[in-house]
Amino acid sequence: MSGSEASIELAGVTKWYARGQTVLDRVSLDYRGRGAIGYLGPNGAGKSTTLKLLVGLLRPSEGTVRLNGADPFRDRATALWDVGAVIENPEAYGSETVFDALNRVGRLRGLGEEAIDADIDRCGSEIGLPPLGQRCGTLSKGQRQRVALAAAFMGDPKVLLLDEPTDGMDPAGRIHLRSVLRKRREDHLILMSSHLMADVTEVCDRLVFIDHGRILLEDSTEAVIGRTESKLLDVEFAAPVDPASLRALAPTVEEVEVLAERRVRLRFDGRAETRAKVLEECRRLGTLRSFTSAFTALEDAYLDVIGAGPRR
Amino acid sequence: MSSEVPPVPNRPRRRRPWEVAEWAIVAGAQFRHYLRTNRFLGLVGFVALVSAVWLFFLAEAGTGLVRLSFLNSVSEFLTDYSASTPLWIALAAALFGGDALSVDFNSPSGFFTLVLPVRRRTLLAGRFASASAVTFVVALEYTAFGVLGASFEFGRGALPWGPLGTSLLLALLFTLAAVSLATFFSAFFDVPATGVLVTVLVIVVGFSALQDVVQIAGYEPWWSLPYAGGAIASALDWAFTPKQVIDVGGGHFLTTWTATTNEGATIMAVYLLIFVLLTAILYQRKESKG
Repeated sequence: MSGSEASIELAGVTKWYARGQTVLDRVSLDYRGRGAIGYLGPNGAGKSTTLKLLVGLLRPSEGTVRLNGADPFRDRATALWDVGAVIENPEAYGSETVFDALNRVGRLRGLGEEAIDADIDRCGSEIGLPPLGQRCGTLSKGQRQRVALAAAFMGDPKVLLLDEPTDGMDPAGRIHLRSVLRKRREDHLILMSSHLMADVTEVCDRLVFIDHGRILLEDSTEAVIGRTESKLLDVEFAAPVDPASLRALAPTVEEVEVLAERRVRLRFDGRAETRAKVLEECRRLGTLRSFTSAFTALEDAYLDVIGAGPRR
Repeated sequence: MSSEVPPVPNRPRRRRPWEVAEWAIVAGAQFRHYLRTNRFLGLVGFVALVSAVWLFFLAEAGTGLVRLSFLNSVSEFLTDYSASTPLWIALAAALFGGDALSVDFNSPSGFFTLVLPVRRRTLLAGRFASASAVTFVVALEYTAFGVLGASFEFGRGALPWGPLGTSLLLALLFTLAAVSLATFFSAFFDVPATGVLVTVLVIVVGFSALQDVVQIAGYEPWWSLPYAGGAIASALDWAFTPKQVIDVGGGHFLTTWTATTNEGATIMAVYLLIFVLLTAILYQRKESKG
């Protein structure tokens, strides 16, 4: 198994729990080799269900799931041999020490004692572990997440399936983990779901958007951001403008943010004709020195694809 | 945690463990976990407390009176004491086997374990072995107090080591059968507490109530696991009779049955086989829908 190519495959996968409750609807994904895929969608979209199907915690109602070429529900040992996964805030036994928990994982992944020690050291320096003698039942949420991530990294599996990997971690820890995952995507295949766009933008080179169990969009991160119409326009006036006069831009402009004495950031609906109208109205307020579309964050792309407003 | 990301190391060499080795890892971790749980420590402490109080009152009553109460027979003394062994075993089996599998699908520890490259049958075998082991520890503890009491009252030389060995083997088989039933319920129900509760209700309350009324109706309750557990005590009884007919007056007779060693062992073995098989099928197909 270790010699074969890493792969994540879902072909026409549908999952329903009861009549009328379809949580995944003909989902197909096919990734091989290496790279990082961000799996995005609102709560209840089907992200966790997809990950559970991939690790064999669920069986597809229709379609096929393959992980490294094997069916994870029928042939767990082969499918999961080269896979590290963090699903649904996992915890080791509360009575186990951090070392015992990771040692158990290492032995089940076929590592010798020396390799386990080396891997625990590596995980400690990569993601920061709590004291190895501490009982897992006494760990904070962030510490438990680090232990779960270390368990996923033990034995350096080629495929990483990560459900909200930075959940519960402090900002410094999140930033560091992102850099770890960015490094790992060079020779690992990573599928990660996250609500934190910064995590996904930094780590993932491809994005999959899912909602109501259906894949809405699948493309490279750059292309997704690029195709999204910018809803932000930065305008620089030749002379300072009276902030009160900016009120005249409503209702064409949804929001005005004063960046400096002569610079403002305007939010509008993103359409080209509105953009032209906004610029025309700005010219009425004063001479323009420059105008540019502001950086479009992934949040904009997300809202464009998924749509805003309350979910189910 | 260092601020710089260390380079990804060369992949460590890994070799898939033998299934027996995987089983040993799973069972060992689970066993050590059980030993540290409050329910294990609580149950062991409770058995010790009850048994110590029992020993105290034996001593208080005095050897002469105790011997008279049990017809001066170490056999009757141990038979009477061992009649409660199945109850303790059933209780321990419910506590340790009743949620052995459902925790995988309803607790964070399940998500830690079930993503590892281990076959479900190996996980089941490991959980079953560890739940059985801790349950038998409780049975051994209870038996040890009985032996201590018997040797105090009748002298060490009077202890019937052969029947005691047979009784212990039956207790082990009863442990395996009770844990198989408990793990079946833990595979059947999604909520861990439900498996524990249903095991207690079925073995301790349901079977016992039914087997009494079935005997009143004149049938042998050969289908009942607690009835089979009666062989643990009857193996120690020198004056054992498997069937007794009691004249209850008014021309009515009540027949009571007690399982023989062979009968009890057979019933327990059948329970073990059936419920291990059913549990394996259920667990193999079980999904994490939470």
